[in-house]
Amino acid sequence: MSVELVGLLLLGFGYLVLLFGCGFVIERGWVPVRVVRHPVVYILAVGVYASAWAIYGSLELAAHAGYGYLAYYLGAAGAFLLAPVLLVPIQRITRTYQLASLADLFAFRFRSRWAGSLVTLVSLLAVLPLLALQVKILGEATHLMTGSDSPALIALLFCAAIALFAVVFGARHSQLHARHDTLLATIALESIVKLLAMLALGGIALFGVFDGPGDLQQWLEGPGLAYQAATPQLEPAQWRTLLLLFFAAAFLMPHLFHITFAETLSRRTLLQASWTLPLFLLLMALPIPLILWATQARGTFDVSIAAYSAFALSESWWVGALVFIAGLAAASGTMIIISLALSGMILNHVVLVAHPPEARADLYGWLRWLRRALIGAVIFGGWLFYRTVGMHNDLTTLGLAAFVGMAQCLPGMLALLYWPGANRKGMVSGLLIGVMIWLWGLWLPLLFPTVIPAFPVTPLAPADAPLWYHVTLLALVLNIMALIVVSLFTRTSTGEKSAAEACSVDAVIRSKRLPLDAATAEDFPQHLAQALGDEAAQREVIRALKDLGLAVNERRPYALRRLRDRIQANLSGLMGPSVARDIVDRYLPYRHDDQPATDDIHFVESRLEAYRSRLTGLARELDGLRRHHRRTLAYLPIGLCVFGDDEELLMWNQALTALSGIEGDSVIGARRDSLPTPWAALLGQALALDHTPLYKQAVTLHGKTYFLTLHKAVLSDHDSRGGSVILIEDHTEMKWLEDELVHAARLASIGQLAAGVAHEIGNPITGISSLAQNLRYDTDDPALLETADQIQQLTQRVTRIVNSLVGFAHGGRQATPLPIEPVALSSITEDALHLIHLARAGDDVTFENSCPDQLVVRGDAQRLTQVMVNLLSNARDACQTQGHIRIEAGAQHAQAWWRVIDNGQGIDPRVRDRLFEPFITTKAAGQGTGLGLALAYQIVTEHQGKIEITSPPLGHSRGTAITLWLPLYS
Amino acid sequence: MYVYRIMLFLVFGGYLLSPLLMNGWGDPDIAWYRPFVIWGGLIALTLWLEQKRKLDER
Repeated sequence: MSVELVGLLLLGFGYLVLLFGCGFVIERGWVPVRVVRHPVVYILAVGVYASAWAIYGSLELAAHAGYGYLAYYLGAAGAFLLAPVLLVPIQRITRTYQLASLADLFAFRFRSRWAGSLVTLVSLLAVLPLLALQVKILGEATHLMTGSDSPALIALLFCAAIALFAVVFGARHSQLHARHDTLLATIALESIVKLLAMLALGGIALFGVFDGPGDLQQWLEGPGLAYQAATPQLEPAQWRTLLLLFFAAAFLMPHLFHITFAETLSRRTLLQASWTLPLFLLLMALPIPLILWATQARGTFDVSIAAYSAFALSESWWVGALVFIAGLAAASGTMIIISLALSGMILNHVVLVAHPPEARADLYGWLRWLRRALIGAVIFGGWLFYRTVGMHNDLTTLGLAAFVGMAQCLPGMLALLYWPGANRKGMVSGLLIGVMIWLWGLWLPLLFPTVIPAFPVTPLAPADAPLWYHVTLLALVLNIMALIVVSLFTRTSTGEKSAAEACSVDAVIRSKRLPLDAATAEDFPQHLAQALGDEAAQREVIRALKDLGLAVNERRPYALRRLRDRIQANLSGLMGPSVARDIVDRYLPYRHDDQPATDDIHFVESRLEAYRSRLTGLARELDGLRRHHRRTLAYLPIGLCVFGDDEELLMWNQALTALSGIEGDSVIGARRDSLPTPWAALLGQALALDHTPLYKQAVTLHGKTYFLTLHKAVLSDHDSRGGSVILIEDHTEMKWLEDELVHAARLASIGQLAAGVAHEIGNPITGISSLAQNLRYDTDDPALLETADQIQQLTQRVTRIVNSLVGFAHGGRQATPLPIEPVALSSITEDALHLIHLARAGDDVTFENSCPDQLVVRGDAQRLTQVMVNLLSNARDACQTQGHIRIEAGAQHAQAWWRVIDNGQGIDPRVRDRLFEPFITTKAAGQGTGLGLALAYQIVTEHQGKIEITSPPLGHSRGTAITLWLPLYS
Repeated sequence: MYVYRIMLFLVFGGYLLSPLLMNGWGDPDIAWYRPFVIWGGLIALTLWLEQKRKLDER
């Protein structure tokens, strides 16, 4: 082994060890996440597009087609310039349905596992020449630098190291649709290396070989003219075709599709790439002509090995090393991502389709090891293709064979996005025709150059046009024609139509509202375990629940349908859309009742909300109207809910949320019978109505009784969506007012009755008073005299009460005018206490009169005594054993306050606001009339005073304080 | 969304006119860096449209 070879191996493997080291450092979390996940990392990782072709292939193409080499960069730049209308919609579909590859996307859109398998096969065949190109560059560069006789063996060693890297850092997750931070960061690092290397080589050419731009221009106008004149130019039509090929390659090639769509990156970053990737490619493309012209100027240019012109820039070993490292960085990045992407495609669309996964204990581990094996197989396949074919063909031939093959998926891809009318038969027909033409014209001649009959000259291009041009035109034209014609004249299945709507740029998925066999989310693992095994089923269900933010015991049909969709999407990322769909259809089936399925309106609305920014023109106006009407219903100040014909709740507005305390999001999508009490039964009654409203239904909400009136309207029978709308009015206030009205009428009747009774009582009372008067005249016995006095006082009191009652019954008019005289509060307090003692033995309650003697108010002593008797009576009744009642008084400004404080049970809060209403009492039936405080209030008001009630009094834990404010006598 | 239409117009217009880029090779009257200047201008235009799109969708 020569010294140069050892040096080169050390250089190459040293670089790969550096890559491993970076991967290890990132994997261990030693680099901050904000750095690893920075958008720049992703943008640089997309730079994987610049494969070894970008360095060596471009030099070869520039030598043979001048600026035609720019097609490779400008085609990809064009694809990324169209990111908002081309790449973002693809990203939306792949992310929503967890589609990790082009084959996944085709299998999903065209509802065919064979479509996925066909695209996988085409991708594999197309990518083999591209892989061989990368390997060839490693081998040829080794040969050029070291003169080694066994470049294929050296290339195999590099391939093994690259495969090891891909297995270690790319196949850790069984889920293909996941962000591989380590991998992305190392690919980004490779992009930096190749960019810096190219800029350095451009700098060497411009300032090392030439003396700057001026010298270069001078050379170009002088000796360089001959070289440039000798370079053939591409025909405009050929140039445009090349542009189209590279445009398609920028998002169809497995590695580009993987890095752009399978790595879960933000839409914003993808949009940023619309100008950053073209900038990266510009910087990569700029040094190419400089290097070429520099070697021509030095006289070291050899057109037969134009691809390796960069090695002829200088005799220095380090310049050669720089060129080699640039090639190694570009080739290794491309090979790693291609192997990862293709291994996933082969696994999902060939291996798992041929051998569906069984319920095995370690499903994830099994899938991981399969992927690792396939990664190794893909890279080895690339080396084998190089060994048998690549060694005998130039880079342009290999590259174009790859790009023309992959471009055959372009018509299908564009139809997928922009033509919902395209169907599986059309796509497969077009693809098969295009691929057969490509195989015949470009691919098979690589393997069997002497066996395959020559490709005929087509009328689509001039006879002297290159073969790749003839093949490309014929293959693409027939591909497109077959796709259109067959799609137009064949039937499209319902499933395909629905998938077409899901993928179409302008369509929103119209999901159907079908019930599932599984009644709750807890049933899902049991169903799925038959396909995935217990552990994997449990993990997938929990993961999907977590993604959607749902609870394990979720029962809402709407939520269960979303859960099913999410599980299918997640499984799709694991084992491809075809297998995922089969598993979900089989083990989580929909129940097809007799009732026709209707649109899932809530789901459609949520999708419309998400895609609002994409709507334009009339669609946007209509969406604005839809939102306006939706808001009208949402903010309607009356409760509103909408049910489908299957009694699934579709709407629950804000007023109903406020009334029920139930958030719409937690019940929308639920069945009526699973709503919380009392709504399930109440709304069930309403739905059963014909046209008559359900009036004033008493329901208990938040511990209070509400009276609700429900109206129902059936949504038009002619509308396929059907359903019923229910309005719920809160009539609690109205019911209370009605009750008050009835109560007032009852009071009026009682008042009239009481006035009559009072009138009748007046006569016997007068008799009793007269008899007591007589008794006083007839005896000198002091005891009898005192009794007679007391009888007279009591009869006078009864008379006053009767007069008050009559006065109250007559609308508050007093029978006699209010006398204005000085009244000592202390004195009438004593009188009242005396009367209280007469009315009932108060041994268990103590009274304390603390009123100052000198406090005199203006009023009627009898009436104020009546007020105090009523207050003391209430206070005594409220007190338990050992009760204490204190009466105190004082003056403040021109008012006297007169307060009764007890330590009784206090006032029930439920009646506090209505204490001064007649007949309101907290005493047991028969123990109170409910007139005491009403009369007290009336009397105090007549005295231009007021009453305040505090229960419990300030500074006390129990009891009541009633304070009367009366005008002071002056 | 209207910005997207400008981009579509730009890319398809550029696609049709792009063969003019190749004329500079071997023509002493045309600066060798002209394709790259046009390309750079296109990138600047895209950057401007990207900013405009952000405002449009806000």
